[in-house]
Amino acid sequence: MTQDVPALAPERPAQPGAPRAPGARGEHQLARDRRGSWLPTWAMITTKHLELRKRRGLMVVVALLTIGLPFIVLGVRLIFHAADPKTYGPAGSPDVFVGLVNPMASFGFIIAATLGAAAGSTDLTDGVFRHLVITGRSRVALYLARIPAGLSILLPLVAVAFTALSLVTSFAGTSQPASLNENGVSIPLHLDQTQFKSWLLAHPRRAEEAFLGGPVIIQGGNGKAVVTPGPPARLTATKARSRIDRQIQQLYAAYTSAETTSLNPAANEMAKVGLWLVLEVVVGFMVGLGLGSLMGQRTVPTILMIVLEIILTPILASVVIPYLINGQRLIVGVAMDQLRPAVLSGGGGGHEGHAILGGRGLEIPPMPIWAMVSVIVGWILGWTVIGAWRMARRDA
Amino acid sequence: MQVTTFGPGAILAAGAAAGRHLGPGLFLLVLLVLAALGYGGFRLAERRRQPRTGAPPPTDEAWRSAPVAGAPPTGPPRPGPPPSPTPPPPPSAGSRLPDALEVTPARPPSDQFSGQPGRTGPDLSSPTVDARPSVAPRLGPTVPFTAPEPADGQWAVETHGLSKRFGANVAVNNVELLVPRGCAFGYLGPNGAGKTTLIRTLLGLTRADSGTMALLGIPVPRERSRALAKVGAIVDEPRFHGHLSGRDNLRVLAAARGDGADNRIDPALERVGLTERADDKVAAYSMGMRQRLGVGACLLGDPELLILDEPMNGLDPAGMHQMRAMIRSLVGEGRTVVLSSHLLDEVERTCDAVAIVDQGRVIRQGTIDELVRGANVTVNVGCSEPARAADLISRAAIATTVTRSEAGISVTLPAGAAREHVAEVNRRLVEGGIAVYSLQEVRASLEDWFLSVTSRFGDPR
Repeated sequence: MTQDVPALAPERPAQPGAPRAPGARGEHQLARDRRGSWLPTWAMITTKHLELRKRRGLMVVVALLTIGLPFIVLGVRLIFHAADPKTYGPAGSPDVFVGLVNPMASFGFIIAATLGAAAGSTDLTDGVFRHLVITGRSRVALYLARIPAGLSILLPLVAVAFTALSLVTSFAGTSQPASLNENGVSIPLHLDQTQFKSWLLAHPRRAEEAFLGGPVIIQGGNGKAVVTPGPPARLTATKARSRIDRQIQQLYAAYTSAETTSLNPAANEMAKVGLWLVLEVVVGFMVGLGLGSLMGQRTVPTILMIVLEIILTPILASVVIPYLINGQRLIVGVAMDQLRPAVLSGGGGGHEGHAILGGRGLEIPPMPIWAMVSVIVGWILGWTVIGAWRMARRDA
Repeated sequence: MQVTTFGPGAILAAGAAAGRHLGPGLFLLVLLVLAALGYGGFRLAERRRQPRTGAPPPTDEAWRSAPVAGAPPTGPPRPGPPPSPTPPPPPSAGSRLPDALEVTPARPPSDQFSGQPGRTGPDLSSPTVDARPSVAPRLGPTVPFTAPEPADGQWAVETHGLSKRFGANVAVNNVELLVPRGCAFGYLGPNGAGKTTLIRTLLGLTRADSGTMALLGIPVPRERSRALAKVGAIVDEPRFHGHLSGRDNLRVLAAARGDGADNRIDPALERVGLTERADDKVAAYSMGMRQRLGVGACLLGDPELLILDEPMNGLDPAGMHQMRAMIRSLVGEGRTVVLSSHLLDEVERTCDAVAIVDQGRVIRQGTIDELVRGANVTVNVGCSEPARAADLISRAAIATTVTRSEAGISVTLPAGAAREHVAEVNRRLVEGGIAVYSLQEVRASLEDWFLSVTSRFGDPR
């Protein structure tokens, strides 16, 4: 009965009943595959990537919310502009850039968290986790393999989407003005705060017209600019200088805001935005992964992450609760908002702060750089540790 | 900078800020995504409920149509009783010890599997464990256990004082288990006896509360990775990623296993008869095919020890036959197979030795013949003068009970009775001048014995 059954491996003993030598496979082989190591192998990463990639429904949603959004918006604008350039402006513009990057960040965070939660829980929900544990592989290695596997799906999609947006903004966008036109006043571009202040002090009347109550330019319904006479100039040059001294930060914010809405972001600004977008996605994935592993499911973690991103974070980033200000700062979205590049803060006006990427945050008083970095790194590491700990301790 | 204090107005402002943050259109999209997630979750929950409440699992035509070469077409792999003019009918399921006039198939005279044709396991002549001294079954005690060390000094599975409890419920209770290498070992017990919990504990899927254990001589959990490298196992029902093919599922497991396991994917699929369906999604597999894929997953590590938890579940008769043949072939290659089951007949047909577990405790272990030999032996005697024969045997004090029947007497010998006792019955009758026409020794089946020592149907007898 046994002799005709195909042998699994050629080295199998030929005689039925012949005992296998203990450790016949060789201890050196077992040592070589680093089974007990907490570092995942390349094969583990690629097969986890395969397992995630073949979840068709999840991948469709991921693609829609990463590359789908900019591709659809830009594609429609490109087609419309090509069909009727007089009615429809160029596909790319600073407004479109900012208008797309912000939702890309929000949706990127949410979809990254969704993918992370899926990566952290599907082995459990599909009942495969115990098979994996029985292999003797370190549970921490099993957990860590999910990080590069998931990010290798997300990051290329985000990169493609952002590259497309940058290319359209740069090469199919509006023509770039030679100077900034603010309320009919022509102001040099690309000034830093000191240069801007010097220019204002040198031109107090023009500064007043541009920023301190001069004539107002209103965008008419037909798209043409209408200049309305503003209130008569009431400030003396001395008073204007005094006000410039006092309000330089607000004035500079208004200048940069106007600059942002008028100019395409420079290459280095785009790079900052891209890095910030990547960081947003990485944070979302890592938190989702840890939460998914902790809870052993993906539905509730995904809902929690959506609530965090679109309800809690905007509220906590917009409202200052004096006795809870440091607690608000511990929210990763608040820290990420403070890191938001300056080019994305255009139109907000009045936001202060300074950050690595030049962002000005929202209403929350600016955080020190070390605090921002600590909060973001803390969220990434904290959730990684929690997820790995739960995976190492849970009954399979 | 403006600082907004916390209050109703601030909340409204924050809501407006949130609105600005995404915009109404995007909020609508988020709501759509949430609705899609909810719908997906509902569908998933529905799909998970279906196997529990749906129709029984489909039969496995492919499995049936591709029998393992060399396996006998019908009948159990264990040899049947010696030829007799009128073969007795098989015992009905759930039957207990035969009544005085009931005839059950006689077990072969050999008490060692190595002496049976068709068996390929090693000589398992190790004595029987009696780990339950406080409960004396009606069928008599088993042979006292003195565990001999295997030749290489290592058991395939060895546990001492292993316990695992869930709250007040003791799932594994001070288990002493010794599984010899190179045999098919049945871990037999009624539902809820703690079989799966013990296996999960052995494999490091859950933690033991106390006790020590070793797999292939390697202590676990201390050297769990090294031990599990040589172990393949199915625990509970085999479940896989339904959206992946069978081959891809094995790739995932082979990657975790390492050690060249990916080179064994195709041979494993071929061996379990899934080559043709290897690229189909597992979601489309029948229960039997999943069982076989589970065995294939076990084989990826070229294991020395396989632990199979209820591998016959969901298999149709042909599938069970094939699984049985495969297990025997694995044992034939020198591997050890530990088979957990509540299917007595399957264990009896497949395994060389068994441990019987009840309420978390191993109450007996040893070879099947030895365990059953621990039960009383009934000898049906066809003779003249049944009344005088019964009186004669009763006065000789060699039988537990003697029952008269029309054709003769039925003599119940004490547990552990050897064939010499049967001869003694014959001698006494002949010396008493009674004509003996026939003598038939009737031994209890494993099922009879199992039912007598477990609490499945009440207190053990």
